[in-house]
Amino acid sequence: MSRLILVVLCILCVDIAAAQTPIDKGRYLATAADCVACHTAVNGRPMTGGRPFHTPFGKLYSTNITPDKKTGIGNYTLEDFTASMRRGMGIHGNLYPAMPYTSYYRISDADIAALYAYFMQLPAVEYVAPENDLIFPANLRFGLKAWNWVFFDRQPLQQEAGKSPDWQRGNYLVNALGHCGECHTPRNFAYALKREAPLAGNVLEGWDAVDIRPQALRRQGWDRASLRTLFRTGVSEQGAAFGEMFSVVKHSLRHLSDSDLDAMITYLLDDDETASGTVAQTTGDPQAAAEQHPQGRADYVAYCAACHGREGTGITLAFAPPMHRNAGVRGENPYNTIAVVLRGLPVQRMSRTNARAGMPSFAKELNNARIAGVVNFMRTAWGASGTAVTEDQIAKIREDLREHGFLGEHQ
Amino acid sequence: MAKIPVSMVVNGAEVGPVEVDEYTSMLDFLQEYLNLTGTKLGCGIGVCRSCTIVVEGQDGALQPIRSCINNVGRFHGTKVTTIEGQAERNSDGALLKLSPVQQAFLRNYSFQCGWCTAGFVNGATALIDRLRREPVSANDVEQVIEEALGDHICRCTGYVRYFRAVREVIESTPGLLKEVE
Repeated sequence: MSRLILVVLCILCVDIAAAQTPIDKGRYLATAADCVACHTAVNGRPMTGGRPFHTPFGKLYSTNITPDKKTGIGNYTLEDFTASMRRGMGIHGNLYPAMPYTSYYRISDADIAALYAYFMQLPAVEYVAPENDLIFPANLRFGLKAWNWVFFDRQPLQQEAGKSPDWQRGNYLVNALGHCGECHTPRNFAYALKREAPLAGNVLEGWDAVDIRPQALRRQGWDRASLRTLFRTGVSEQGAAFGEMFSVVKHSLRHLSDSDLDAMITYLLDDDETASGTVAQTTGDPQAAAEQHPQGRADYVAYCAACHGREGTGITLAFAPPMHRNAGVRGENPYNTIAVVLRGLPVQRMSRTNARAGMPSFAKELNNARIAGVVNFMRTAWGASGTAVTEDQIAKIREDLREHGFLGEHQ
Repeated sequence: MAKIPVSMVVNGAEVGPVEVDEYTSMLDFLQEYLNLTGTKLGCGIGVCRSCTIVVEGQDGALQPIRSCINNVGRFHGTKVTTIEGQAERNSDGALLKLSPVQQAFLRNYSFQCGWCTAGFVNGATALIDRLRREPVSANDVEQVIEEALGDHICRCTGYVRYFRAVREVIESTPGLLKEVE
């Protein structure tokens, strides 16, 4: 009997070992790094590139990272691959830092090797992305050498002493593989990350990639359970992921192992701070909100309440998130609340059987004063976030969105 | 329950001012207060668009709006057209002429159970109005119809006939397509 158990155990061990081949590991790591989101065009084949990125310097397209020898990375050795991942040095010249090598330089050798093994066994697809359309001098690739010299600050990953292994794994996932800072860290005039304010929030492509430092997350009402729900499903009682973050949940976060997801949450919420309980939760006052912003309340009732609920509690979470306890409404920065009202949201399909309805754009229907009224009503009723938004603020955001082409229905 | 006064023009007729519960959905207002039952409740959460009605914006442009997810207060002071107001009628209410969209739907037999048809007709009417102001090239017609009506759900799956009818109206109405250069 004991021999039989031993045989079964051996078979199981062989199976587990087989499941941990470099290719499988690389596939998992590529999922954690969300390579597919950037390297796939709308209706394009995965990893063949061609997705446009709108930067202040013009339009940039992602490249083909299938192992096609002519148009992809088929001729890359492991050393070439490492150079592109760590230093932004492709075999045909410098890569633009839209490729997040400014985060990937922290990825371990073993993980780079596994990623290489995974990419090199993908089906090779011949495809050339459209030419970049960048203004001078950003269109001069050799200038990126100077950019790297000035702005590519290769600090090693700061693994603080005394932090748990879970926190340290989370740090690696957030700041290296997951490259969260590429969206959530503010950038300077040269579009380089401001290293002094990591994860402090940044507006790009017409959305605010919010402040995700522990204090800000807690002020917005996030805790372990709600973050886990958001990362698994794209929606939680604290609000829904939209824009690029929805894509991150869809292609990357929801596929991570429980332990890795927990590690990321441990890092993001910084468990040590939880213990000290430094951040007070904010709650609003619907009665005061109705008195202070009567037109805002009337518009909320007319335009928003049928989906987001009379008392702001939503109708059903699968359809539209509540405004009460909503992180966006609670956030210090009202940008996303305003931008959602102006832009609306497209239908978001997580899978064939799981989708959420879109939200109409109210840019045409509501003027700046009325949008300010609705936003102020919601922030006073359910956010208690302090400063009121002004008509001028709405006008400025409306103009920015219009100028960059984000102000049509679901742009 | 707070009451609000609403007044609007529905299918050319003045309505109100009338006091209604502020949380009344426009769909309920049309059906329960005005006895206009042609607007249908489908999903009730703004997804299927069977409840679509047409509202004239401040700039005179027609907008398709879902009446199930918008409360009546949103429509205060506006001009609304429901499926009952699409055809021309005389002062006694007798039918004179169907709208071009309705005629095309009839010609193409663009309905089966008919539940979603009113929403399709209203959506198409708003599209035709937009094309009057912003004509498109003949090559883009299919895409424009898809963008305007692609989110309308028909559980009988009558999409081909719906789209064919709308295409017919667009192609046979002068001024909706750009001249070929």
